[in-house]
Amino acid sequence: MLLWSRRIFQLAAVATGALYANGALADSKICGQKGGDLIFGMEAKFSTLDQHANAAHSTRNIAMNVFETLMTRDENMSPILDLAESLDISADKKTYTFKLRPNVLFHNGKPLTSADVAASFERYKRVGVDRSALDGIARWETPDPQTFTIVLTAPRATFLESISASTVPIVIVPVEEASAAATHLKPIGTGPFELVELVPDSHVKLKRFDKYVPNAKHKEISGFAGHKEACLDTVTFKALPEPGARTAALEVGEIHAVEDVPTLSQKRLAENKDIKLVRLKNAALNVTYPNQSASPTDNVKVRQAILAALDMEEIMEAATDGAFDLNPSFQFPGQAYYTEAGKELYNQRNPEKSKKLLAEAGYKGEKVTLLTTRDIPRAYTTAFVMSEQMKAAGINAELLVLDWPTALSISMNETKGWNFFFTGWITVTAQGGAQSLRNLADPSNVHKPKDNKSDPIFMEAFQRIANGETLEERKKAFADAQARALDQVMAFPFGSVPKIQATRANVEGYKPFFNTRVSNVWIKR
Amino acid sequence: MSSRTVSETPAGVVARKYFWRGRIARRLMKHRSFVIGAVLCTLVLLVAIFAPLIAPTDPNRMAIRFRFQPPSWDFPLGTDNLGRNLVSRVAYGARLSLMIGLGVVLLNAAFGVLLGALAGYFERLDGFLMRLSDALMAFPSILLAIGIAAALGASATTAVIALAVVYIPRTARILRASVLVVKEQEFVQASQAAGASHGRILFRRILPNCMAPLIVQLSFVFAYAVLSEAVLSFLGLGAPPTTPSWGILISEGRSYIREAPWLTIVPGGAIAVTVLGLNLLGDGLRDVLDPRVKMDGA
Amino acid sequence: MRAYAIKRILQAIPILMLVSLISFGIMQLVPGDPASLLAGPNATPAELEQVRINLGLDKPFLTQLFIFYGNLLKGDLGHSLLLGKPVTEAVFERSPVSISIALYSLVLTVIFGLAIGVLAAIRHNTWVDQIATSFALIGVSLPNFWLGLVMIVVFSVHLGLLPTGGYVPFTRDPMGWLVAATMPAVSLALMQIGLLARLTRSTMLEVLSQDYIRTARAKGLSEIRVIAKHALANVMIPVVTVLGMILSVLMSGSVIVETVFAIPGIGSLLGNAILGRDYPMIQGGLLFVAAVLLTLNIVVDLLYAYLDPRVRVR
Repeated sequence: MLLWSRRIFQLAAVATGALYANGALADSKICGQKGGDLIFGMEAKFSTLDQHANAAHSTRNIAMNVFETLMTRDENMSPILDLAESLDISADKKTYTFKLRPNVLFHNGKPLTSADVAASFERYKRVGVDRSALDGIARWETPDPQTFTIVLTAPRATFLESISASTVPIVIVPVEEASAAATHLKPIGTGPFELVELVPDSHVKLKRFDKYVPNAKHKEISGFAGHKEACLDTVTFKALPEPGARTAALEVGEIHAVEDVPTLSQKRLAENKDIKLVRLKNAALNVTYPNQSASPTDNVKVRQAILAALDMEEIMEAATDGAFDLNPSFQFPGQAYYTEAGKELYNQRNPEKSKKLLAEAGYKGEKVTLLTTRDIPRAYTTAFVMSEQMKAAGINAELLVLDWPTALSISMNETKGWNFFFTGWITVTAQGGAQSLRNLADPSNVHKPKDNKSDPIFMEAFQRIANGETLEERKKAFADAQARALDQVMAFPFGSVPKIQATRANVEGYKPFFNTRVSNVWIKR
Repeated sequence: MSSRTVSETPAGVVARKYFWRGRIARRLMKHRSFVIGAVLCTLVLLVAIFAPLIAPTDPNRMAIRFRFQPPSWDFPLGTDNLGRNLVSRVAYGARLSLMIGLGVVLLNAAFGVLLGALAGYFERLDGFLMRLSDALMAFPSILLAIGIAAALGASATTAVIALAVVYIPRTARILRASVLVVKEQEFVQASQAAGASHGRILFRRILPNCMAPLIVQLSFVFAYAVLSEAVLSFLGLGAPPTTPSWGILISEGRSYIREAPWLTIVPGGAIAVTVLGLNLLGDGLRDVLDPRVKMDGA
Repeated sequence: MRAYAIKRILQAIPILMLVSLISFGIMQLVPGDPASLLAGPNATPAELEQVRINLGLDKPFLTQLFIFYGNLLKGDLGHSLLLGKPVTEAVFERSPVSISIALYSLVLTVIFGLAIGVLAAIRHNTWVDQIATSFALIGVSLPNFWLGLVMIVVFSVHLGLLPTGGYVPFTRDPMGWLVAATMPAVSLALMQIGLLARLTRSTMLEVLSQDYIRTARAKGLSEIRVIAKHALANVMIPVVTVLGMILSVLMSGSVIVETVFAIPGIGSLLGNAILGRDYPMIQGGLLFVAAVLLTLNIVVDLLYAYLDPRVRVR
């Protein structure tokens, strides 16, 4: 049975009527008080809010308060309807019919119709970063203004998982904006907040969209969907790139919330009664992947030797200043697909085994280049400690530290000159299932396998994750894929990292999530 | 930057005759700024040279157990987020910072002299070279350096090239101005009349008499290079962080400025002391070698 | 005078051509491209290529250069890749921020630079001179971003007197602007104060040793009158040149001070454009800044020529 079968969605639709009566009551509960300007201190600078064409975390933090999607992920990363009120899946599992929620308005005052949805899908197919999510679609249709139908070429069990992915969401924009070139999109959405101004490197200001009608089907916000309300008059996202200054600004009350609290400051903030700490236990997976096309990491024994030598605890301790969880999986603990398959290969701390494998591989002290950037301190420190551990195990490790654009571009475009690349998997891991491993699968393999073809045994398991009929089958497939990925050292996790945020004590209703959500947040006066 | 306050017209041509003679040295030794500057610079230089002896441990040696130790008897300058000893890191940082500064000075001197001399001596080249230098100088200097550093990929060598390029036009202009004046001197005219080659006149007659403003300028270029290297490193475009420069230390330390302020203050202080020393040295040199502009530090 | 002015302005045209060529050349060498940044680390090669085509980065160097010059003639500096708005719009939004902070620093520089310099000169070789000279020296020796960081800790974190960062437009809230701009302006000004103080002092000392000052003193004029009327007027000539230079340093914005204090000025705009490989922004932005700086230099030179007629002859 499908996890999100037709029946579940129909049940939800029936429940709508029952909940509707309580709608007004729920409203007043969500916003304890209305009004005020919330100032949110952010780590990163802001660039274009073109959510189709920009994969940046910092973009989602803001854009997803302005835009909405047909379907997204809920608090637990399961698919959930947002702009659609119902979804009907045909018996042959090829036709998906979405009924749009009535009375949804864009910030320009125009009502949402299926033409807007179709135009947004068209644009995403043209400029969207994750446009492969739309693969396998034969066509889409707009039989009437409230109905949007997608027809697949063949049944695909994980189709909804793909189009609801919240990494680079398929946000719905007005049809007249949908012709905009990549990065030129005007930020007009249907969300509870509309854009007032965006000053890159400084701040973004949003204000309440007065004509927003919350989704009465839900009582609370869930992921980017659910019951959303703008309690605040305005929200200002302020770029404060200096971590010390950001925390200080919160402490002196200059801002109401911060996106990220440095580990060292947490104790002090926890003792401050004017401040509340908000914790998301698993926010990012600290990972690295090798370059399988460059010597000596083209040799699986060398890769296994390197993995065998590592002490993940020391690496994570250093990289996070002590705030982390060891995690052998490509999923976070608690996620449906979480598995400890291949655990014995994680955190081995076994220099003898490493030496043995190196000897078998005929390793002669060839240079192993760890490519990283100082722009992401955690990635840099991880690489640094890993290089020290490798040296201690007799491996000729060398750091190559470049600025992020250069490092990223080299890791994506070059098959020579680097052996390991360091990054954090945030949303791909949070999405769960096939999404979490797609970086290792064709065609988006990041580890540069020979002839650009990922390991066949891994790919076989990956196909089963993507197409398995039942969750049990898919979970089994995930375990197989993870075990194979670790055995072949296609990538490996160091551990998972929490996200610690903080707000002033009078900020209510703020819930931690992978991205910042300012709906339902209010200031107590 | 300070160097542009140096007069662009040469002066005291007469004084040049004594340039390399002991008299100059004696006057320098009596000049208080020069002496203080020389002492500071020598101190930093000694730290850089003897870094392996001064450093209690390898600058990259981690000891997670001892991270964020404030300055104490065991760790006179404290430790960083990986428990690395700041004494070692600052001492080795002196090496890299001075090496980059020296590299910039040498490259700057070589090209500045060459281009300045050509522009000053050959009138036909003058127009083009000066427009080119105008164009380079029309860029905000640090942006130009960032652009070049980004183009060539972050490394110590790149930092040297980027910073040298930014200041070559300025040095070239100073030299050109000196050449223009010296060229009109009698002894040069006499050589020309005697049929000496251009190369001989330029390198044997003119350039030796243009050294004073050049030396003064170079001392300020050195100071500028040490400061700017820190900016590039701060932005992640300098030397790789495995060989710690002072800029990298500040940049790494600033995330912890609340809880471990020594990580930012100590390397910043090191930069300040070095630059101060170089500026004092430059002041002294200017007063003695190029007496037209008197800063009178004595 | 007019001929001199026309000559200076005509000279600026080839310089700007060179500026645009140099910046274009540098950008062609820069590794990494905005496409990979926008697509993110999880994009497939095909997706990456698509983004590149979307942005027009697949076209050859000369074509891109040709397009750039073609648009330039129409007064169009192009469209920023990362900000999703025209370069001219971004530049005009950001310039006032840097200019307002530059003017603030300039005011600080003139007041303190001149005061310290004059004070040191008239109290030559006393402890006042010592302190003033030392201050000026320290001013030119401190890295300004480091000073900024230290000031944030002292004034924002520990004393809670000034905001940690950010910017308030003067037109929206003058007091808010003053409070927000103070630390950045001081970090920027300190080095310039040092420079100006040193220059003022040395020029002043030279002037004070001139015959006409001795004559004025001998005539029994009060010291203040001597200083104010005769000495200061002569100090002005070199000071004006230096001020022009200082202003151009300040106007082009400081990438690093703007970064530390999260100020949306032209410096951080261009710095981030370079770091983010936003080619049109770098192209257009650098050309704009270079044009402003050249204009400033010309104005200063003309002013200098006006103050000191000998210059015109050269």
